Amino acid sequence: MKEKGISISFYSMRVLIKRELISSLYGWGVYAAMFIAFLVSSFILRNFLRGIREENIFISSYPLNFPLFVSVVIISFYLVVVSAISISREREQGTLEVLFYGPVSSSSFLLGKYFTDMILYMIILGFSAIYFLGVSLLTNLGFTYLLVKAFLLSIFLASCVISFGLFISSLTGRVRSSIIWLVGILLAFLGLWFLQNMFLTFPPEAFTSWLLYIRKTLFVTQHIINWVSPFSYLSRGMESIRIGSVKPFVLNIVYSIIYTVVLLFLSIYILKAKGVRA
Amino acid sequence: MIKKRRKIVNLLSIFVLLILLIFLVTQWGLAQEEKKEEEKKQPTISLAPVLREELVYRWNVFDGKGWSGGFIPQSEDTIYIIANKDNAISARKTLVYFWPITARYMAGWKTLNEQVKGTLEILQDGKVIKKLKKEDNVLYYPEGFWGEKTVFYKGEDANKQYQKYRKALDKYYEDLKKYYEARQEYRKKLDEFFKEVKRRREAGEKGPLDIEIPKEPEPPKGPDFYVTEPKKDYIVNLPVGKYQIRIRAEDGTIVEGSEKNLFVFTSRRKGGVGYEIIPGNRWTKREECNDPANIIYAAGRNVLYFRPYNQDEYNELYHNKLMDPQNEGREENWKWVHTDPITDVFLLFYDEDKLLEKVDKKPYIVQQIPGPELGYNILEYTKEEFPYKKPTFEGYQLILSEKLAPHGYQIFLGKKENNALIPESRREIRLVRKKNANFLYYLSLFPLVVGGIVFTVRLRKVKK
Repeated sequence: MKEKGISISFYSMRVLIKRELISSLYGWGVYAAMFIAFLVSSFILRNFLRGIREENIFISSYPLNFPLFVSVVIISFYLVVVSAISISREREQGTLEVLFYGPVSSSSFLLGKYFTDMILYMIILGFSAIYFLGVSLLTNLGFTYLLVKAFLLSIFLASCVISFGLFISSLTGRVRSSIIWLVGILLAFLGLWFLQNMFLTFPPEAFTSWLLYIRKTLFVTQHIINWVSPFSYLSRGMESIRIGSVKPFVLNIVYSIIYTVVLLFLSIYILKAKGVRA
Repeated sequence: MIKKRRKIVNLLSIFVLLILLIFLVTQWGLAQEEKKEEEKKQPTISLAPVLREELVYRWNVFDGKGWSGGFIPQSEDTIYIIANKDNAISARKTLVYFWPITARYMAGWKTLNEQVKGTLEILQDGKVIKKLKKEDNVLYYPEGFWGEKTVFYKGEDANKQYQKYRKALDKYYEDLKKYYEARQEYRKKLDEFFKEVKRRREAGEKGPLDIEIPKEPEPPKGPDFYVTEPKKDYIVNLPVGKYQIRIRAEDGTIVEGSEKNLFVFTSRRKGGVGYEIIPGNRWTKREECNDPANIIYAAGRNVLYFRPYNQDEYNELYHNKLMDPQNEGREENWKWVHTDPITDVFLLFYDEDKLLEKVDKKPYIVQQIPGPELGYNILEYTKEEFPYKKPTFEGYQLILSEKLAPHGYQIFLGKKENNALIPESRREIRLVRKKNANFLYYLSLFPLVVGGIVFTVRLRKVKK
C-alpha cells in the first residue's frame, strides 16, 4: 500500500515536471535570460582581450571563470524569480487546489517544482558550456579543468537559489506579493551589505557608542545573511575555485546541499500548514 | 479577523525577540571587543607615536629560501616557523609603537634593545620538552651580501665561518694597502715615463722610442662571500606540531610577557618548478608563473625573460605570518615559495611536439636611454662591451614573434647533461585571437536563435 502511494507520488511528480518544463522551454524567458547573461559575459571578455596588448602578458589559470560567475548570477536571478512565483501563481489561479484534489501531495508538488527548475538549470548549463567552448575556440582563452569545476559547483549553487525562491513562494499567496517579498529581501540583503561596508570605511574611534552598537549589530546580521542568502553561497563557491583547494570546494557543496534540504523541508511544511488557497 | 490579529501579534513578538537577541549578542560582543582593545591599548592617530616598553621576540627564521629577520609584538600570540630547520630566536625589551599609516606595530630598536636573560622552555601538551640556552649563530652568504643564497651556522661552526670571513677581509685590506702603494709607485713611474719621452723628443729623437711602459696594478678583489657578526640566540629546531614557549629567568620565575604559542609547519608539496618572468618592456615589474595550472596569455610580439626556480608549496596564512606576524592570509590558500634558481638547463619552446627553439641562459644589462627622455634597452651582457659593469639579471630570452600562429604553445626545461625534460616545468603559452573579440557578441545570440527555432516548431504544431 505504502509502495503504491510512493509510486503514485513519483508519477504525479514526473507529470508535473514534464508539464512545467515544456511550459518553460516554450516560453521566451529562459532564452532571454541566457542571452542577457552571455551578452554581459561577451562584453567582459571583449574588454579583457583588448587589455592584452603587444609586449604585455597576462597569467591566469581561469580567465573564463569570472564571466561564468557573472552569467551564473544573472541566470540565478531569473531562476529565483521563476521559482518564487511558481507556487503562488498556482495558488492564485486555483490550479493548486485542483491538483491537490488528485494524487498530488505537498512534497511531490514542491519536489516537482524543484526538479523542474534544476533540469531547466542543467539545460542552461548545456547552453553555457556551448557558449564558453565557442569563446575558447574563437579567442584561444583556455576552457580549463577549473572551468569544468566551476560548472559542476554552479549546479549546487543553483540548487540554493531555486530552493530559496520556492521557500519565498510557499510563504506567499499571490504572485505580486511573492515578487514584492523577493525584491524586498534581496534589497534588504544588498542594503545591509552596503551599510556594513560604509561602516567599515571609518575607524571605530570615529563612532559614538550608539553608532558602535549599530555597527556591531550590522556585523552580526551580515554574518547571519551570509548563511541565509543564496547569493552568498554563490560568491563563496566561486572563491573556493579561485583558491584551488579541495576542502573549501567540497565544503561549499555540502553547505549547499544542507541549505537546499532545509529550505525544501521548510517549504513543504509551510505549504502543508498554509493550505492551497490564496 | 481575530486570527489575523493574533498572527500579526505573533509575528511582531518574534521580530522583537530577534532584535532583542541580536542586541544582546552584539552588546556582549562589543564588551569583549572593548576588553581586547583595552588590552592592546592601541593608540589613536596622532603625530607623535606613543612608545611603550614591551618584551618582544626577535628572530632570524628559515622562510623556505633563506633566513629572514623580524619581530613579534605583544599583539600577536603565535610564532610560526618551518619544521626541522634551525631558527634563531631571542627575547628583547624594546620600545614598540603603533604606526597608523601602515596599521602595524613597529620597534624602536635604536632607542632600546635589551637582551632578556634566561632559559627558553619549549612545552608540548603542558610538559616542558626542551630547555634551550643561547648559542652563537651567523648567516653565511656564499654569493656575497646581495646574493640570493644564505646558510645558517651555529655554535663552533658559526665562529669558524666568521673567523674565515674576518681573515679574508683582513687579507683584502692588506692587499688594498699594497695596491695603493703600488698605484703610487705606478704614478711615479708614469710621470718619469712621460718626462723621458718629452726629453728624448725634444732632443730630436724620432721613430719608436724603446722605453718600457709602466704596468698599471690591478685592484684586489674583496671576499666574494659575507658572514654576519655572531649573535647569541636560542636555536629552535622542531618537528611539525603545536608548542608553547616561555622564558625562565635566572631566579626561576617565568618572565612576564614571554609566553607565546609556537606553530611549526612544513610544505605541502616540494620540488615544483616556478618561473619569474621579466617582460621586455617593463623589466622592473616582474610576473610570477608558479602554479602548474597557470597559462601565459599573450598577443602580438613579446620579448620575455624566464628565470626558473625550484619551489615548495606552503600554507598562505602560516607562511605570511612567518614572514611577518602582523601579516594576514587565508588558511585555505596555498602559495609557492621559490627556493633556489635552477641551473644547467635549457628552456625549450614547443609547438605541440615540434621543438621551435632551444634557449640558453645569458646575462643581460639594462641601459637607460641617454638624454632626458624615459626609457631603456635590455642588452646582452659581455665583459668586453661593459668592462666596468655587472649584468642586471640572468635569464632565458624567449621572443614570441607576431608571426607565430595564434594557438597554444608549451615551454619546458631540459637538463643540459642528458636533454631530459623536467615535467614540472611545463607551462602553456596561449596567443589570444584578439581579432575575434567582436564575434563574441554574435555568439551570445545563439540562445535566442534556439528559442526562435523552438517557437517556430511549436507554432507549426499548433497550426496543424
